[in-house]
Amino acid sequence: MKRWVWSLFILALLSALPLVVETQFYLHIFILTFLYASFANSWNLIGGYAGQLSLGHAAFFGIGAYACAIGSVKFGISPFIGLAIGVIIAVLVSAAIGYPCFRLRGPFYTLSTIAFAEVVRLLTLYWRDLTEGAVGILIPFRPGVANLIFSGKVPYYYIGLAMMALSTFLCYHVERSRFGYYLVAVREDEDAAEACGIRSARYKLYAAMISAAIAAVCGVFYVQYMLFIDPEGVFNLNVSIQAALMAIIGGAGTWLGPVIGAALLIPLGEFLRGWLGGAARGLHMAFYGIVLIVVVMVIPQGIVVTVKNLLKTKATRKVEEERR
Amino acid sequence: MISYTFIQVLISGVLLGGIYALISIGLTLIFGVIKVINFAHGEFLMLAMYFAYWMWHYWGVDPYASAVVLAALLFLIGAATQRGIIQPLLKSPASMQIFATVGLSITLQNVALFLWKADYRTIQTAYQASKITIGELAIGYPRLVAFVGATAMTIIIFWFLKNTFTGRAIRAIAQDRMAAMLMGINQKRMYMLAFGLGSACVGVAGGLLMPIYYVFPTVGTYFSLTAFVVVVLGGMGDIRGAWIGGIIIGLVEAISGFYVPALKEAVYFAIFILILLFRPSGILGLGRGFEEVAQE
Repeated sequence: MKRWVWSLFILALLSALPLVVETQFYLHIFILTFLYASFANSWNLIGGYAGQLSLGHAAFFGIGAYACAIGSVKFGISPFIGLAIGVIIAVLVSAAIGYPCFRLRGPFYTLSTIAFAEVVRLLTLYWRDLTEGAVGILIPFRPGVANLIFSGKVPYYYIGLAMMALSTFLCYHVERSRFGYYLVAVREDEDAAEACGIRSARYKLYAAMISAAIAAVCGVFYVQYMLFIDPEGVFNLNVSIQAALMAIIGGAGTWLGPVIGAALLIPLGEFLRGWLGGAARGLHMAFYGIVLIVVVMVIPQGIVVTVKNLLKTKATRKVEEERR
Repeated sequence: MISYTFIQVLISGVLLGGIYALISIGLTLIFGVIKVINFAHGEFLMLAMYFAYWMWHYWGVDPYASAVVLAALLFLIGAATQRGIIQPLLKSPASMQIFATVGLSITLQNVALFLWKADYRTIQTAYQASKITIGELAIGYPRLVAFVGATAMTIIIFWFLKNTFTGRAIRAIAQDRMAAMLMGINQKRMYMLAFGLGSACVGVAGGLLMPIYYVFPTVGTYFSLTAFVVVVLGGMGDIRGAWIGGIIIGLVEAISGFYVPALKEAVYFAIFILILLFRPSGILGLGRGFEEVAQE
């Protein structure tokens, strides 16, 4: 009950924020945070709960974005239909990668996703008729609900907020569902899970498909917000790694973790980028790399679990003192 | 005439395959012994290539000479990585080890981008354009040297693992960590040695590659993706398989590069998925990583 009250309170606070904050830059940071939190949520389903690390989530993100952009620019399809097509392709592709990998153990899924993202990037560069290659696709600015393009940042803010809230709610729900327990069981001990009758390969596949669908939706949001897309921007390994990084820093396999991770890293990243400037190209990603190593070595469970444990020990300490 | 062209393509494929084999053997050796995939393997290669470049640039050192120095240098870097990052994470889930090496990879890549910019750098040597002609076939001298050097390094590693006491200890600990430790094998030292040796492979490869390739901060990504395919093709942890896999991928690259140049990587990926579907233990069927990782 308490958790609900808190969540609604924070949601209400965030909903009221655009009424107060009018600086476009701050709104932009919030929108990016919502987008990346949703993207990290998508990663969390397969990487966190099911423990199958994807290092190519940018591919699903990019497939959604490109499906929508190509549809609206080249064929004049409504972005809503483009969204549906993107999601379907992403889900099918993720099933095609997952099927051979999830029957096996070991790092095969990680290797496949990393290789797949690279292949999609090269194909996008190659099919110039459809994707404009390295030049990228510019989406003409025609505001309107039917085009899913808006003239101010505020509508994007609310759509982004809704996306984050829904995907977080989905993770929360999964964490408490039979499906979620299956995934965690498979992650912790696949043999034991199989012995309990869980079809591990099948549930990993389901998780990967749901995850790809959410990532594709995030990609559509990205392209409709940026109104521009190019292969380097969406299929970069760094995009995949950022999704994973946020989930891990916040806490992989916890519903709140990715949101916390995004809320920390996106503003920090934007600040660093502004502060270091163009002269220090690369330093901002190098910083992410170092953060990743440090987090893995010092607080591998992520912020959420670590804080929870700290609080728990305090509470337990109190109980112990009272017993004495 | 066409058959000559085709033979030419095959030869250049095998020569290139030798370098792929060497890089992949390093990766598969580390995986076979420590059960960790070093996602920074490609970045180690990038570092080696940059070191070769700078040694040539400032002191005029021939890249083939610097390959020897680079082997030692990369050995140290590899051993330090094992000691500083992997060893503390040995008891963590495999995902944490993956993330640590991924973090290392991003850090190295972007520090290189910061220090040396995104420029493509090449070196010029006197022998660069020279070639050996047999009838109508022409073999580029640097490519031949790269193949011979890579094969020599491969043979040294084989010999070391097979015939020396330390090599035997490494193989023992790869087979069964616990049993080997009970026999008194120093696990920490063997792991550092294995990681160092695996990294020394890319040190040599970096020196050998420099006369035929250019270096830039993300050069490692390309080679490490190739190495992933080779390692899976050869069977994870199987050194002999990796050598054969390297030659096969070199051939595939040369042939597909000849007929469908833009889709080379897509061909790799198709091979990758087919192996996973039909023969996940690799061509020789000796890859044993995939069951063992789950047990750790």
